[in-house]
Amino acid sequence: MDSQTISQHDLNAAPAPWSYNPSAWSQRIPICLLAAVATVIATYLALYQWRLISSAWDPFFGTQTEAVLDSNVSDWMHRYFLVPDAAFGAIAYLGDAIFGLAGSTRRWQYRPWLVIVFGIDVIPLGIVSAVLVALQATVVGSWCTLCIVTAVISLILAYMAYDEVLTCLIYLRRVWKKTRSRKVLWDTFCGQPSPVAALIGEEMCGKA
Amino acid sequence: MWSRVVEIMLGCWLAVSPFVFRHAADETQFWINDFSCATAVMTLAMLSCWKPTRHAHVGIVLVGIWMIVFAYQNFPEPAPPALQNSALIGFLLIMFGVIPNDATFPPVGWQEYDRNCEESNE
Repeated sequence: MDSQTISQHDLNAAPAPWSYNPSAWSQRIPICLLAAVATVIATYLALYQWRLISSAWDPFFGTQTEAVLDSNVSDWMHRYFLVPDAAFGAIAYLGDAIFGLAGSTRRWQYRPWLVIVFGIDVIPLGIVSAVLVALQATVVGSWCTLCIVTAVISLILAYMAYDEVLTCLIYLRRVWKKTRSRKVLWDTFCGQPSPVAALIGEEMCGKA
Repeated sequence: MWSRVVEIMLGCWLAVSPFVFRHAADETQFWINDFSCATAVMTLAMLSCWKPTRHAHVGIVLVGIWMIVFAYQNFPEPAPPALQNSALIGFLLIMFGVIPNDATFPPVGWQEYDRNCEESNE
């Protein structure tokens, strides 16, 4: 694969409104690492829900973690998703890491679909995690330290990811405003090049 | 290509799943489903490495969707481990299957576009 034709300078250019490149590795690797930590924690909780381990560790709330993991809410989600909710969470965090790793450092322009899929995984996940913690307090009446840790991680992930998703949306919006063509917008979303998309990318990087 | 490598590993896991989860001898559909999905996933992942069939990994997404549908179709409550495995591997296959082959580089279309621009500038 010939990657030399697009210069490194262009790949690392900072798009407006940022002074940095939100698709840079320095922005994405921390997201992947944090998501990997959350994957491990969620997998541990899933092991308890599968009863592959007989107890779940909690530094502050004792057996309340187990009460949360065995609650009616959890049970209902287990039936609905087929797998325990913690296992489902682990898959979602792993997805954050996978979609964070894929793509070049200019993927906000070259692969918008990937950034949007990443955003759909990260941002609603943060909200769902926060809602589940709120349910712990209100419906279940017990607390689970590791669940709170993963919920905090997902909110941090949502915060860390939003700049890239926003850049991508601004780019797509500008393509739409310039062309008013559904086909061009769709092609751009799928990562097909066009003179308009190239021009807007250059404009956003302050080069046109 | 890391995504294709993971898919081949998931295919291997699917191939041993009937023995790990001890499908009963009369659960023919479970045996057939696990083995045929394993074969399909590994074949499609390898085909993706060959240029003429480089888009074959899209088929892995379809296999993933099928495995989730299969788990839901045979849905006794609570779902037995074998079906939970099917659903989880299905989710994983969908996530890995959408990742392009040379994901770290810009897509081929954009690389060619930039090359043409540079040539016309020269």
